[in-house]
Parts: sequence; C-alpha cells; structure tokens
Amino acid sequence: MTISKQTPQELAASLLAAALLLPGVQAHADEPPRNGSISLRYLDYADRQPGLDRIHAHSPSVSVTAPVAGDWSVEGTLTADDVSGASPRYHTAISGASHMEDERKAGDFAVTRYFRRGTLTAGAAYSTEHDYVSRALSLNGTLSSEDNNTTWAFGLAGSRDSINPVNNVVVDEHKRTVSVLAGVTRVLTPNDIAQLTLTRTNGSGYYNDPYKLFDNRPRSRRENTVLLRWNHYVDATGGTTRLGYRYYSDSFRIRAHTLSGEYVQPLANGWTIAPELRLYTQSAAWFYYDPVYDATLGAPFPPGFSNGADPNRLSSPDQRLSGFGAVTVGLKVAREIGKLWTVDVKVEEYEQRGSWRLFHDGSPGLAPLRARVLQVGLTRRW
Amino acid sequence: MVDAVDRFPFEAMASRCEIRLAAPNARTAEGLAQAAIAEVRRIERSYSRYRADSIVSRINAAAGRHRVECDDETWQLLAYADHLYGASGGLFDITSGVLRRAWDFRKPRVPGPDELAPLLALVDWAAVRREDGAVFLPRAGMEIDFGGFGKEYAADRACALLQQRGVRHGYVNLGGDMRFIGPQPDGRPWSIGIQDPRKPDGIAASIAVSQGALTTSGDYERCFDLDGKRYCHVLNPRTGMPVSHWRSVSVLAPLAALGGSVSTIAMLKEADALAFLEASGLAYFVIDSAGNAHHHSISGDYAS
Repeated sequence: MTISKQTPQELAASLLAAALLLPGVQAHADEPPRNGSISLRYLDYADRQPGLDRIHAHSPSVSVTAPVAGDWSVEGTLTADDVSGASPRYHTAISGASHMEDERKAGDFAVTRYFRRGTLTAGAAYSTEHDYVSRALSLNGTLSSEDNNTTWAFGLAGSRDSINPVNNVVVDEHKRTVSVLAGVTRVLTPNDIAQLTLTRTNGSGYYNDPYKLFDNRPRSRRENTVLLRWNHYVDATGGTTRLGYRYYSDSFRIRAHTLSGEYVQPLANGWTIAPELRLYTQSAAWFYYDPVYDATLGAPFPPGFSNGADPNRLSSPDQRLSGFGAVTVGLKVAREIGKLWTVDVKVEEYEQRGSWRLFHDGSPGLAPLRARVLQVGLTRRW
Repeated sequence: MVDAVDRFPFEAMASRCEIRLAAPNARTAEGLAQAAIAEVRRIERSYSRYRADSIVSRINAAAGRHRVECDDETWQLLAYADHLYGASGGLFDITSGVLRRAWDFRKPRVPGPDELAPLLALVDWAAVRREDGAVFLPRAGMEIDFGGFGKEYAADRACALLQQRGVRHGYVNLGGDMRFIGPQPDGRPWSIGIQDPRKPDGIAASIAVSQGALTTSGDYERCFDLDGKRYCHVLNPRTGMPVSHWRSVSVLAPLAALGGSVSTIAMLKEADALAFLEASGLAYFVIDSAGNAHHHSISGDYAS
C-alpha cells in the first residue's frame, strides 16, 4: 500500500472499515438472513401392511427464503403431492381395499420482521385435495431477554377446512381450529439449550372420516401438548445431541408420549451425518372400537349393533385412534459443496404395532403398519 | 435476576490478563472463561515470534529465500497491517521489530547510529510482497510481528466468542487493553482507571465504559531512564529511536484492534498526534511529556 493523504473523515471511516475486516472480532446476534436460499426437495413415501402395499406418494417441493429490505424476510413453499394407492383398511381384518388416487397441492408463505430483541412472523397456508380444502393463518413472535439467554415465544393460529367427500356422506362440512402457543428457550450453559413449549388447540366441526362406516366422532376436540427439548453440544466430538419429549392429551382421551433423540455429527470435507430414533406410544380414543364385530351382523358392524344400540352413538374404527406404539429409525446425510450448495439425503423407517403400546389398552390384534420415507434435497444459497 | 460477576485472572502474551463476566452460576462462568482464554492462547501460539512453528516464525525464517503460504486469518491480519501503514504515513510498520536487536530495555544503553543503520535497512513494509495468498520478505533478516495489535485482536476475538455464547456483562482485559462485552449486570458502566505513567500504583484519570474498547500505549512499560531522558519501547521506524512526545495515549474505540493501533500510531506521530487523533474520530485521553493531559469526549461510552 502506498502512503496516502486522506481527509479526516476518510481516515476515520477507513480505519474502522479495515479493523472490521479482521475475522471474528465481532459477535452477531439473531439477525435477519443476509443471504437467500432456494431448496428443491423430492420426497418419496410408501407404507404397507402385511400383504398390502398401501399408499405411495411422491412430492416434489420448492422453498425459497429471501431477505427483503434489511429487517424483513419472506419464506414460501410450494408442494405438489401425487398420491396413489389403496385407501387405509379401516380394519386390518377386512380385505378388499378400495383404490384411491388423489393429488394434493399445498403452499405456504410467511413474512418475518426482525427487531433488536425479537421477531414477529405472520404466515398463511393453503392446501387442496379434490375433496378437502384447508386454509390457515398464524402469527408468531419471539422476545429475548437483555442478556439473550432467554427467549420467549408466543403464537396464535387458526384454520378453516372445507370437506366435500366424493361419496356425498356430507356436503360442505367444516372444521375450525384455534391454537395458542407459549414457550420459553433458555441457554443453560455454553453447551446446553433447553426449550419448553405448551400448545392448546380448540377445534369444532367435522372430525369424521367420511370414507369409513360407523365413523362418528365428537364435533369438538380440545388438544394439549407439552414439548420439552434439550440440545447438548458435545465438546469431545464436536457433535450435537437433540433430545425431545412430547406429551399429548385430548378430549378424545388419547394420551400420547413421544421420546426422540438425534445426534448430528459434522465430519471432514463438509459432510454431516445424523442418526435419529423416535419412540411413540398412545392410548385409544374412548369411542374407538377394536376389530370385534357385532355377533349377529358381523363385520363391519360394531358390537351391539343388532341389539338396537343407537347407530348414531360415537364410535370409530380408525386405526389412528387405537392404542399403539411406534418406532422410527432414520439417518440423514448431508454434504456442503463449496459455500453455496448443500445436498442431503434422508431415509426413515417407521413401524407401528398395537402390541408396542407402553401405557393404557391397545389393539394388539391390528396388523402392523410400516412406512419408508426417502427424501433428497438440494439447496442453493446466494 | 442479577448474576454475580466472576473474575478470571491469567497470564498470556507476557502480560497480566483478566476476564470478568456475569453468568448464572460459577461452573458456567468458569467454562465460558476457559473457552475465551483458550482463544487468547491460540492467537498467542499462532503468532508468537518465539515459537519456531508459528506462521510468523515461518514467514521470518523464509526472508530473502522464499514465499510462505498464509491461512485466511493471517492474510487478514497482514491486510490490516498494510492499511495501518498507509493510514499512519508509514509510521506503523510491522517490520520494525528488528530494531529490538539493538535495544535491550533491561540495560540503560543507547545504541549508536552504526548499530541502527543495518537494522533500519531491514525495516521496509512497502517492500514486502503479498500475492496469491502468500507473503515474501525480500531481504534476509527481515521480520514481521503482530505485536502492534495482536493482543488487541485477541481481546476482540475473546469478547466476540463470549458474546456469541450469550454473555452480556463483563470485559476482557489483556495487559491493560480492554474490550467490553457490556455493562455491569445492574446496567451501570464499569469504572476504569487510566494508569498514571509515572506512578505505578497511581491513576491519572478514571472513565466509565460499558461498550467497545479502551486501549492505552505508554512510554512506561519497557523503558529506561538515562541522563534525565526516558527511552521507551515505542520506536520510530525511520530513526530507530524511541518516541518521546507523549507519556501515554488512551483511546476509546468500537474494537480493541482499532483502538490499539490508533493509540500506537498517535505515540509515533509525536507532535502531530492530536491532529491524527481528531481525524480518527475516536475519543482519546493523552498525557504529554510534561505531564499535562489533553482529551476529547473521553467520558462515557464511545457510542454515546
């Protein structure tokens, strides 16, 4: 560099600018994204029960994050699912699954405003299948303490779904939900972050599965969720463990526990490997009936049907309302290529069995359900 | 909740150092301080002239022979040194460390011109070549060192590391060069004394700081007095002789690396120091060779 004559203003500005170029001399807090990114994902889902390949879904999606005017960012995702396969057996004891084809299109959009100590995000989502349209709005915020060690989160969301099943069991039915969320995240040590989130959802309207006989569920549902998460950075390996526990209860009297663990290990040359394990158990809804049928009429009539039991009483044979346990094992491998590209591949195996429930009564006679998820993603930052 | 402030004294870069920080408990504070101290020691190791395997030693050993590839961090430090050379009119020169071969401040002896001349021929940052991520010192015997802002850079890095880990109250003090993480837990600024250049236990002034950095260069660290004249370790790279116009220069700056280099350049500018400090836009407090203080908006934060 040659020795230059500078005006006082130039000197002051150039000295500060030069010092700021030194690496790592300044800490950056929660800042709006400086760079945008675009992700392409392709998800392949297939599930099966013994002797039956059920649903196979392919869904490509595009999501974009873009910083706008300093303190703002927008995000959006477009997904198109193409689903084909047999509709779920409403009891695994019954054979003769009907065939279904459906196409789902979904999009969501969110705008975030960044403040010095918090964020505010407004979001909207829309998804449509030929018999089901869902619209949702949400407002979420975070607020951090002066020392940035504690962050509070709050949220409010509402959804309105329209249901017009092709069999015309019902016409123009609706379901509405309102959710409130409150949470706190706390930095415990330089290596540990814990988070507690409480969610309450009140819903009313049509909860039945219109494609199932004798599926008559309450027209309101109140759901509570407690979620505890703990992330720990392991000094010895440079990896991170992510442990989570979720407790769920609702007015259908389903109680569920989820225990999840994930370990993310960065490796040389931009590789990251992350095995995960998720254990789940739930109790049956109070109006769920096991695959035991009326003694006289047989399947699919629920017990007592021939003895004049009220045909409109609450009941459901939906396997998702039964008591069961499930295990998910997954592995995600990602590789950063240069500073701009990331490629990731994720494989998940899911198995659900009535006999794996750990609490309450289940439906041990139900056939197990297995699913495999394969996801490939490509992200480009700019 | 007001957290307690813990103190972690340690020795690094041949100086007495201390980290003060507020954390929810003693174990957390200890872990944070150890991480920050480890960062200071990493920089000390990487840029020490006294370790044969440091990048600085490798660059110096290759002087006059071949170029040495630099990592990104070293490259940025060299770029900053280059900027300071230009901004100081050539007075801040990281090749001037060779003059130490003639000056031993443990003995009161002034080297003669015949001793200084061959060393001054090796002081020439403008001749250093930097290209394609490699640096080359063109004459055998040339040396660089980051003594002029390495300690301050380490204070900035340690402070940024603590801020990234959530610390909001405390400061990093490396031998009197300080970078502040934030005010005391109750919101009050820290009260920092400025060393009296002539009384080891005295304070010449006291200022309140909660943000940014406070750095001081003085004629009292490594020095000797001979025939009523003070000879200090801040050496003019053109004459090879110690500067004598100021006893000490303190600067408040957003970054310690900036404050440290501005206070050193002010010492080197001698009679032109006040104009340079004014032009730097930073708050300062200086004591001249007669013991008189001059200052500009030194009270309060640099930001306020």
